[in-house]
Amino acid sequence: MSNILKSIPIGKLLRAENSQFVAGCRVKELETPALGSLVKVRLEDNSEIYGLITHILINDDSLVRQLVSGVSIPSEYTADNRYNRNLPVEIHVLTVGFTQNRLISHRLPPRPPLSLDHLFLCEDDDIRAFTAASDQGYLRHILRMQDQPVEELLAAHLAQAKTLHEEVGDFAWYGSACQKLITLLRDDYPRLTMVLDVLTELENV
Amino acid sequence: MENNLDNPLISQIGYVTGGGLEANLQVRLNVQPQSVLEGAFVVIDSNNWRFYGLVTDLRLTAIDEQYATQINAQRFSVHLAEMLNQQTLYTNLAVMPVLMMETGPAIDSPEYAAWRQTHTDEQKPITVKTVPSHHAPVKLADRADIATIFGEENNQNVFRVGSTREQGHPVCLDLDKLVQRSSGIFGTTGSGKSFLARMILAGLINNDKASTLIFDMHNEYGIDTTSSDTGVGVAGLKNKFSSKVQLVGLGAETNIGGQRPDFTLEISHNDISSEDVLQLSQALNLKETTAATLDALESEFRDNWFTEFMNMKVGAMVENEEGKLEPAPDSVAAWARRAGVHTGAAEGLRSKLTRLFNRPYLKNSPASNGLKDIINALQAGRHVVLSFGKYQSDLDYLLVTNLITRKIRDAWEKATNDFNSSKTKEPRPLVVVVEEAHKLLNREMASQTIFSTIAREMRKYYVTLLIIDQRPSQIYDEVMSQLGTRISGSLGDEDDINAVLSGLPGRGGLRGMLAKLQPSEEVLMLGWGVPMPIPIRSRRYDKQFWIDLFGEDRQPLNMSQASRLMGFDNDSD
Repeated sequence: MSNILKSIPIGKLLRAENSQFVAGCRVKELETPALGSLVKVRLEDNSEIYGLITHILINDDSLVRQLVSGVSIPSEYTADNRYNRNLPVEIHVLTVGFTQNRLISHRLPPRPPLSLDHLFLCEDDDIRAFTAASDQGYLRHILRMQDQPVEELLAAHLAQAKTLHEEVGDFAWYGSACQKLITLLRDDYPRLTMVLDVLTELENV
Repeated sequence: MENNLDNPLISQIGYVTGGGLEANLQVRLNVQPQSVLEGAFVVIDSNNWRFYGLVTDLRLTAIDEQYATQINAQRFSVHLAEMLNQQTLYTNLAVMPVLMMETGPAIDSPEYAAWRQTHTDEQKPITVKTVPSHHAPVKLADRADIATIFGEENNQNVFRVGSTREQGHPVCLDLDKLVQRSSGIFGTTGSGKSFLARMILAGLINNDKASTLIFDMHNEYGIDTTSSDTGVGVAGLKNKFSSKVQLVGLGAETNIGGQRPDFTLEISHNDISSEDVLQLSQALNLKETTAATLDALESEFRDNWFTEFMNMKVGAMVENEEGKLEPAPDSVAAWARRAGVHTGAAEGLRSKLTRLFNRPYLKNSPASNGLKDIINALQAGRHVVLSFGKYQSDLDYLLVTNLITRKIRDAWEKATNDFNSSKTKEPRPLVVVVEEAHKLLNREMASQTIFSTIAREMRKYYVTLLIIDQRPSQIYDEVMSQLGTRISGSLGDEDDINAVLSGLPGRGGLRGMLAKLQPSEEVLMLGWGVPMPIPIRSRRYDKQFWIDLFGEDRQPLNMSQASRLMGFDNDSD
């Protein structure tokens, strides 16, 4: 059931560069993507660019401003504004790797995707394959992010991936991801301890 | 070594991260620090060379101090903390590189044949002259490595003195090398020093390349005794080696712990020289004028001076023809006047020497020439334990050891000169074993006693010293620095530790090791006679020791057992 859902495109690309891109989607489509989800864009040559949702942005427009400043808003106005709005919800994606000829790489793709390319949520098998490849090297892209709550993003992503790996009996994946994070961040004491705080919190839930 | 080749990871404890020859090598440990002890013998393989070194320090460190200052397991989940600690906290070893040996490429590699052609000789360890590369793997030395450096036990000259502390690999001492130069065994009371000495003496006697003369001040080496610490019986050398060892008692009536000596030693007055007396200056509190008085005595009476001086009377007066009192002709004063010596000085010396005149083992004409018997036995390849019996004062010890050693020096010098000039028989090497050596070799005495001469230059006359002492700091530096092999049990005093290390490289690292030796269990071997310093768990001097040494649990044969064995059924021993 969920796989069918995820194979449905969740949006189309607005703009892109090598290391990140932004897709727009309708509010209706917003039920499935979540912070930290692994998404991909399929290019014409059948290669796929993988990314992680880092940021979901809902912009206002002049109508919303007017409505917000009104005294009371009828519920059908609210519904109409939400589902038929002119401005898309922006999904910001961090590029974390790509596949070419079915080979997974955690390097940046040679070219960014193009506008109006379709953005898909990855299926479970896809996520398992991508996150387990190349010694979890894709984590370095996440840690390089500035001006974003990296720890929260990591926690969201790891929680999701951990569950998926453990569903198929792979209990080691999470441990080696933690090892990798410590290796990458051990020279940055404040940042690493913050990440570990979040992971500890995650494990205690 | 074979095991390591099969699985190099098992024995690898870390890798080289820095350092050098001057400072020690830095090694990052990748096992728990408790699996390596200070003083551990490690090997480092790097580009066809194998380096041998000694761990001189272990230091806890972190890639960032902040990781070490908080308890990570309290803040993070247990497995995260474990991973974090593993990656950020580690132990650094300081390794003192000592030796290196070219090992060549691996035997099964294609380069090996070419290398072998240019290196036909068996490779030998040499003093370290370069350093291993970065990240060279560090392993604890295995049995084969230790045998490469310290030799393979053969119950002859390569003698096992103990084992490594971590893995219990046997560590040996080359006894031939030990006796080539003077050596020392040190340690505080209770450090196991005399057990160690007994063991090494047993090894020396068993090896039988050199004769040993043991000045047994406290009657503990010759006969079977009981350990004061454990109450367990301790085998003496005489009973184990039988006729190979001669037990000599000082004085006619001496019996040593209920055992009759092989012969007794009484010293003839004629054998005492002025030199022997001068060496007692301190013990007898002699004045500076003594030398002049003794010279006069010796020049007048020659060898008989001691007897003559003893027979002179102090203060005896007679009335002369004029009715005046004057010194009697047989008085000290009369002799002094005759000889032109200060009367007061002569009389003072005479009264001070009374202590010597009263020694029962000093005889005008002893029944046998024990001194000669000792020298003969030693030259014939026997070993002599001279027990002091009831004569245990410093005066006895100083007098007798000096006198005998002086005679020995004369005998060996003569033998060596004969050998050099006319190629007669090469002199039998001799080790003189001196207990409480600081009494003979302290700063004040060293210039006077014969022992410092032996320590310094008697090597070329085939005589060396084995010093056993608990206060090495009291021994004259010049003598200490001459000691080839030094084996030390635990020492508490800073000065003693420095003394044992005097004249050796890498003192800084060894100092801590010496201070932390486990009393009565561990010793540190170092110096010229051992390829590299190493702390070891010393071998036990027990029943098993003798079984190992003799190959079976036997008392050495005495005459009656031997004759029975040969078919003569008599009991006339």
